Amino acid sequence: MTTRNDRYVVVHPLDDVLETKVDTEALGPMPMTRSVRYSLLSLRAYLILMVLLVVYHVVMLAR
Amino acid sequence: MTNKTLIMPTAVSTAGSAAGVETEAAPVHGRVVKSKITRDLLTFLMVFGPGLIVMVADNDAGAVSTYSQAGAQYGTHLLWVVLLLLPVCYFIQEMVVRLGIATGKGHAAMIYQRFGKWWGLFSLVDLQLVNFLTLVTEFAAINLALSKMGVDPRYGVPLAAAGLIMLVLSGSYRRWERIVVFLCMLDFAWFAIAFRLGPPLGQIVKHALLPSMPAGGITPDLMFLVIAIVGTTIAPWQLFFQQSCIADKRLRFADLRWARLDTFLGACVTITAAVCMMIAGAASHAHGFRFTDPAQMAADIGTFAGTAMRDLILLMMINAAVLGTTAISLSSAWAYGEVRGWPHSLQLPWREARGFYALYLMSVAAAAGIVLIPRAPLQLIILGVQVLAGVILPSAIVFLQLLLNDKELLGEYANKPWNNWVNWTIIAVLFILSLILAAQVTAPNLFPST
Repeated sequence: MTTRNDRYVVVHPLDDVLETKVDTEALGPMPMTRSVRYSLLSLRAYLILMVLLVVYHVVMLAR
Repeated sequence: MTNKTLIMPTAVSTAGSAAGVETEAAPVHGRVVKSKITRDLLTFLMVFGPGLIVMVADNDAGAVSTYSQAGAQYGTHLLWVVLLLLPVCYFIQEMVVRLGIATGKGHAAMIYQRFGKWWGLFSLVDLQLVNFLTLVTEFAAINLALSKMGVDPRYGVPLAAAGLIMLVLSGSYRRWERIVVFLCMLDFAWFAIAFRLGPPLGQIVKHALLPSMPAGGITPDLMFLVIAIVGTTIAPWQLFFQQSCIADKRLRFADLRWARLDTFLGACVTITAAVCMMIAGAASHAHGFRFTDPAQMAADIGTFAGTAMRDLILLMMINAAVLGTTAISLSSAWAYGEVRGWPHSLQLPWREARGFYALYLMSVAAAAGIVLIPRAPLQLIILGVQVLAGVILPSAIVFLQLLLNDKELLGEYANKPWNNWVNWTIIAVLFILSLILAAQVTAPNLFPST
């Protein structure tokens, strides 16, 4: 939005110039503390366990 | 407001678009207005869309079924649970808004880039699987509603699938958004349904604002219905959908407050519509009908409220499934395109984003096809949706929370301490609920039913 002599120009986002955003690719992986890393490892174990439970249950249902 | 369009001459892009759309040296089209109020209103209308769509599409076929079942079993006693979910919906999706605007990229791309390949791949595969299974349930609902209306699903379901495919193939984000916002507005018909069928307003307000237990107290059945309500109100695909939608619409930093308002209004609409669905279920129960599915509930309501009311509920059920299908299929296609680095924008014509459109098309066509197979294992599919959604949701929100605390990524848009307190509380509750739900579905004998 810009002002021109007490008038406002409203621009649709798709008609506007592209904004410069954070260059996420240049940032690389997120730096993590040890506690965050261990928490994510626990989460990974939980998810693997849950997926195995689901697979087991589906196999049982299909039999 | 003067009805003028101003074309500003200098518009040279400095950044490439994540979605693969180039706008370098394109003229900037703007509307000239005279007052601040008109400026704000017009800006809001231009930004408006992703928040409303993600919220209303969340009231999909599964949600219609869950809310109406809650009403049919417990009357209006669980209205307060739904109302409690309003701030939860808003807080979670507001984080997605900030992330989408700050990075201009989708949620899948963010997880891939910031947490590595394992988590990126896990999130993507899980999302694709749970989304596809959910799509099958959407078409199953369309099938059911069409059958009740006397329309042959062998023609109706492929026609719905073809319409959903045509919706995205125009190569215009704006056209898709306008049509979908119109479909979202049709959700207001739930208000008319609730007004016609509803109990006294005093009872609704009382049960919405004062937590109360239905007769019989806390039972495993009640507990699992509450979990189902939470699960259907906050779904994993919503995180991926809204962030990708914001990136595709190329919302700017200045749009943040309007995007927040869009999300808040969307949350209000979806929660109010959920309340209306519950009221419809309660009305069928009050007339002595037993709930089996929402299509049968519509037929039951038709016996005392007229066939027009029956058909209106069935049409709303189809509308809910159509909205759910387009949003869920797009969240899959956007996520896959982001991770694979394919062009993935609704602004692109088919020939420039073949992979993106092909994934959308295949998801819709395959889900519609499965529903038409006689004796397809729909019950197993619904079960899979429940469990996988329960598994993916808390982990997806954990990643969202970690990303929102990433100062390197978000700077001033990162979470404040109070955001973190609210969000970690929500995450803890969701983890407990998803664990109970997953345990119940995978090992039903753990919890005796009443």
